[in-house]
Amino acid sequence: MNLRNNRFAKKSVKLLILLLSSLLIASASAAVYYSMIMQPSVTVTGATIVFASGTDWPSGSALGDNSTWVSLALKAYPNATLIYDQPLNISNTDSASHTFRLRHVSITPASGDATVANFTFFNFVVEDTAGVAQASFNYTTSGTTTWATPTTTSSMTLPPYTQWIIYVETKAAAGANAVTADLQMSVDVTQ
Amino acid sequence: MKTELSFKNALEKSMVVVTSFVLQPEFFALLGIDLFLLLSLLSCLLDERFPKAIPYIYQLAAIYGFGHLLISRNFLDMFGEYTRFWYSFLYLVIALANVVAVNVYFAVLKRQNTIAKIWSVAITFPSILVAVYFVMQYSSMQNSMPSIMLQISLLISACVIGLSLIILARPEIIRKLLHKRKEVIR
Repeated sequence: MNLRNNRFAKKSVKLLILLLSSLLIASASAAVYYSMIMQPSVTVTGATIVFASGTDWPSGSALGDNSTWVSLALKAYPNATLIYDQPLNISNTDSASHTFRLRHVSITPASGDATVANFTFFNFVVEDTAGVAQASFNYTTSGTTTWATPTTTSSMTLPPYTQWIIYVETKAAAGANAVTADLQMSVDVTQ
Repeated sequence: MKTELSFKNALEKSMVVVTSFVLQPEFFALLGIDLFLLLSLLSCLLDERFPKAIPYIYQLAAIYGFGHLLISRNFLDMFGEYTRFWYSFLYLVIALANVVAVNVYFAVLKRQNTIAKIWSVAITFPSILVAVYFVMQYSSMQNSMPSIMLQISLLISACVIGLSLIILARPEIIRKLLHKRKEVIR
């Protein structure tokens, strides 16, 4: 009887040890596997909001690969407002609406530079398909050497498969010399 | 005067983070580890019928599989999916071969037909079924096979297993059914 009990106890201990060891191995393996499936993969997809050249596309401008950047060569006349009705379009190529906003990045010459006084303003207006202004984005100097840079616009919703217009007005100060200003703006898109 | 504007789309190449929940090839290794652990515990329970070292050997095989998973995770980029699939699948095949080998051991070497039958219905067949199911699921994820037929066949197989288990446990049910039928015919 004792022998039988002893054998049963031995078997129970053996089974318990193996059970604990099995639980440990199984849970550790599952944790390793879980950590593998939770490694995120990054997919590169095309942009859904892109730029498109407008009917008033300035010569010397460039539209980048995938239409995700554009360099506009705009002119400004001394003491006269130059209007570009439709130099550039923003196009939603997706079946869903997306929001976007305009954000100022940089401008050269920077405030404090004497050449800044050569400029009067650069106004950018985002117009919808009906020609209604959705946002204004204006750089002004008021004849001083300080730029009044625009604040980031509020988010605008661009409907699916729709193109909006960016209308531009420029003006240089009377007697302005041949100077160049470089503006960098960003269109932030919510995907 | 030239004023240059540069618009940059904030998401020039939009990066979408996708957490992948698809079946990884290492799942087969995980399945193999679980099979080895199951074999270890069952061989411990039936220790009168097995050599004493067998449960520990199966534990070691499971630990080997765990090490294999760890290496796989750390060198994920080095091995292609093809290689990862084949070494994980090979490990699973070895685990399944052990399950079948135990079945053969009971049936042929030990001549314990009852245990061999129970083992085949309760362990061998479900293990193979589950393994085949996941291998097919994996191949369907590679767009090579539709999985709906497989799910139906799994359901049918599960029903067959259930019926087989009932008949195996109480074979007199069939005898009674046949007897009743004969009486109705008379």
